[in-house]
Amino acid sequence: MKNKILIVGCGRLGASIANHENEMGGNVIVIDEDESSFDRLDDSFSGFKITGDATDLAILESAYIKTASEIIITTGNDNVNLFLAHLAAQRYQVPEVYVRFSDPEKSLLISGMNIRAIYPFELSLNKFIALENGGDNK
Amino acid sequence: MKIVIANGTQQAEFILEMFKSHENKIIVINSSRQLAKEITNKEHVSVIVGSPWRSFILEEADVYGADVFIALCEKDTDNYACCILAKRMFNVKKCICVVSNPNNVELYKKLGIDSVVSSTYLLAQSIKSESSVESLIKTLSLENNKIMVMETPVLTNYAIANKRIMDINFPKYASIAAIYRNYQMIIPSGQVVIYPKDTLLIVCDPIDQNRILDYVKRAEITSGEVKTSILRVGEKPTDAPKKGKK
Repeated sequence: MKNKILIVGCGRLGASIANHENEMGGNVIVIDEDESSFDRLDDSFSGFKITGDATDLAILESAYIKTASEIIITTGNDNVNLFLAHLAAQRYQVPEVYVRFSDPEKSLLISGMNIRAIYPFELSLNKFIALENGGDNK
Repeated sequence: MKIVIANGTQQAEFILEMFKSHENKIIVINSSRQLAKEITNKEHVSVIVGSPWRSFILEEADVYGADVFIALCEKDTDNYACCILAKRMFNVKKCICVVSNPNNVELYKKLGIDSVVSSTYLLAQSIKSESSVESLIKTLSLENNKIMVMETPVLTNYAIANKRIMDINFPKYASIAAIYRNYQMIIPSGQVVIYPKDTLLIVCDPIDQNRILDYVKRAEITSGEVKTSILRVGEKPTDAPKKGKK
């Protein structure tokens, strides 16, 4: 199995990314503590679903983190996300690490590492400013 | 010393109690308003209320350059985040991260936290050393079981008894750190004679523990042929002593 895409946290964002990557033909593996969160996945989703705590190395390794080409971390807890991002980048050297943070200050703690972060707060703020300044961006 | 205690309930109070003095400046942070109040009432210190993994809270608490930062949150990942933040952004000299999952000890260290403590891990280590060897020998492991300190008495029939240290050809992989005799401590040199009833304090690698005990306990007559069998709980009894002999 090549080009494994590992998605941690199957909330709204995680599930949407999983559905998208699945449609694009990627080999998707989703991890979430709560089995019912997999209900968010499309019926056509053909990837793996693993129920368990992603901060447990055994779970991560059973999800093929060692050979994953991409990991997307979207759990609801910033501290868990920070830890997993450090782990993926430093210990497992996953080539592409994406992480979602609610707190923009977390950016200070990932500088210099091979981690790309998404800050919904900043995106929302920028969108608001764009809308207020004439709304030319839709 | 400037000491920061982040979260925690009884442990926080206990540590606070222990370090309370004029020389120490103690900063207490707690994310629960209720607990913060309780600590203030009991210990008469001001507590900063807020999550210790948020940088504005550490800023408010003036954590900059603290000597020790102790993270006592319930979740391991929260402690990880606190320690990384304190270390990277606030130049804290030493971070101590308390974890509940013993597997996180080595992992967090590799990810850059100075000191990781797990009560389960410590408990397991002490059970292991308490029950490892015969009751006469006390052991203490340091640096997460990388260094072993053992206390062993010298009996009359031992081959090393009544000899100078320089004459017994003490193995290179271990060292006699001290000799305890008549309630006094002696730092050994080659000239010092080991007498029966002495207690030897030996420092070695944990894997050599059985090997060195075998050596010390060799009886005079059979020198080296008969070996005391040592029972260790949870470990294969024969592996360690043989290693490296050939």
